[in-house]
Amino acid sequence: MRSLRRYRLRTTLMMLGILVGIASLAVLSSLGEATKRETMQRFKNMLGTFDAIIVRPGGGRTRGMPTLVNVPPTLLFDDASAIATELPEIKAVAEVQNAFDIDVKYRERTSSPAIFGVSPNWLALRSEEVADGVFFTADQNASLTRVAVLGLDVRNQMFPGEDVLGKTIRIADVPFDVIGLLKSRGAGPAGASLDNVVLIPIRTASRRLFNRDFLTMLVAQVKNPERSNEATAAVAGLLRRRHRIQPPALDDFSITSPAATMAQVTRAGSTLAKILTGVSIMALLIGGIVITSLTSIAVAERGKEIGVRRSVGAARPDVVLQFLFEAIFASLAGGFAGVVTGWGGLQLVTRTQKLPPIVVWQPFAVAIVLSLGIGVVFGLYPAWRASRVDPIQALHS
Amino acid sequence: MIELEGISKTYTRGEHGIVQALTSVSFHIAPGEFVVVRGASGCGKSTLLNILGCLDLPSAGSYRLDGEDVARYSDKQLARVRNAKIGFIFQSFNLLPRTTALENVELPMVYDQGRVDRRRALGALQRVGLAARASHFATELSGGEQQRVAVARALINSPALILADEPTGNLDLVAGREVMGLLTDLYQEGRTILLVTHDDAVAAYASREILLRDGSVVSDQIRVATLVEGAQ
Repeated sequence: MRSLRRYRLRTTLMMLGILVGIASLAVLSSLGEATKRETMQRFKNMLGTFDAIIVRPGGGRTRGMPTLVNVPPTLLFDDASAIATELPEIKAVAEVQNAFDIDVKYRERTSSPAIFGVSPNWLALRSEEVADGVFFTADQNASLTRVAVLGLDVRNQMFPGEDVLGKTIRIADVPFDVIGLLKSRGAGPAGASLDNVVLIPIRTASRRLFNRDFLTMLVAQVKNPERSNEATAAVAGLLRRRHRIQPPALDDFSITSPAATMAQVTRAGSTLAKILTGVSIMALLIGGIVITSLTSIAVAERGKEIGVRRSVGAARPDVVLQFLFEAIFASLAGGFAGVVTGWGGLQLVTRTQKLPPIVVWQPFAVAIVLSLGIGVVFGLYPAWRASRVDPIQALHS
Repeated sequence: MIELEGISKTYTRGEHGIVQALTSVSFHIAPGEFVVVRGASGCGKSTLLNILGCLDLPSAGSYRLDGEDVARYSDKQLARVRNAKIGFIFQSFNLLPRTTALENVELPMVYDQGRVDRRRALGALQRVGLAARASHFATELSGGEQQRVAVARALINSPALILADEPTGNLDLVAGREVMGLLTDLYQEGRTILLVTHDDAVAAYASREILLRDGSVVSDQIRVATLVEGAQ
């Protein structure tokens, strides 16, 4: 221990090398892990649930969000009811018709949120609730009632600080009564807010607003998430039958199973995480090489000291342990300092970037263990060399 | 104390082939003797010193030190012997830099199972007249003071044998005389001392002289030692 204090500069340099490596490892792998979790959360925000099969019209050639203007009219209301009634694997089906760039007016105020016509089971299927008011019922949907539920961004933009329930808005000049307010859903996978929406009953949307008979999306909730692959195949089979699609013809719909979505999201997140971790491990290796170099220099310069210690009774293992301990101590100390620095850096990044707080401790624990290992591995060779120093030569140099 | 029988040491030195540094060296040293080993450069006295100090093993022969047969010892066993039975004093002092006098004296105790006894170390420093400089760094001490710290370090584990290699080689006359006075005191207290030197004046302190030439003992004589006032 005293030796470390004696050679302060060298010890500090060794610690610094490890500190940088560990700090970057801790920060980057925490960021990677948090990004992965955040991405999954955003997908969940958007999809509402991971136990739902999503069917879109068009064989996957539609780019971006499907809307009434960019999808083929092949997915029908009857398809949805067929799936709901004929397939035992499916618990419930929700239908969606949506469009953008439609004006919503209240008195003299205007906004252009996304308009989603949805079936009455939409909220329930996504296990969501209204923040205020009520959602529309099956009866209201059947009788084409003109009621609307607003997303939080619409409320904030058009009715800042006001009550919305009972007010009448005009969607494309058609009057709708506001009966409910949605809870905030947060950000979607692209980072945009999911709260800039107005939900209306889909039959009302189809007959009174859009004048379209086809769906932009269909969400089928599976009974048993463990068997979602079978459920997905069943839905695909039914749609092919109904649409009279036979191989080698391509499907006129695209279907995403929960498992596939999950895998895709996880893969994207973990690729990023892996890259970041790889970068930091490289930084750590550099730190390790710093340890080896500095310890080797120490051994070369402290040859006389090694000779003296040997002459007063140090055996070779004593010498190895001495230099190994110095390397491990510097490495561990650098590791702890790196963890603290990394933690501080992480707080700084999340605060300035307004990201949600990151609560992952695994990277930091791994970092400490890693710095211990690095001290051992990279310090061992120079420590062994120290023990091979010939005391006779060292003492008489 | 020391029983050397037929000690030989050979080195292989690349192009020069085999070098015979020592050939069949034999002598006995009784406890309490003050012996000097002399000879010209290259006579093998350094090699002999290294073997006597258990820093090196002979190629042939036997070496009994204080009852132990050390010639075939392992590195670990030799380290223990060096720690417990031998005290070195070097020409270039060989104190640890960036370390205080006291810590230098304590060093052998570190390797004696870590039993560092600060009071015993202070006592040793007092014995050599440097208790007041205990917390000074080695580099802050004069040459003579450093060598005296080295003597204290050599004594700390009560060794059976003190080995001194040109102890006054890097010292001025006054400092040199102080150190030799210390060694004489130790001799008079009954310690066994073996000294290696070129210097006639230094050699004169010993009561027995072994002369080496080309790796062999050519003479081994008792004589009258010059006794000088010690450092205290």
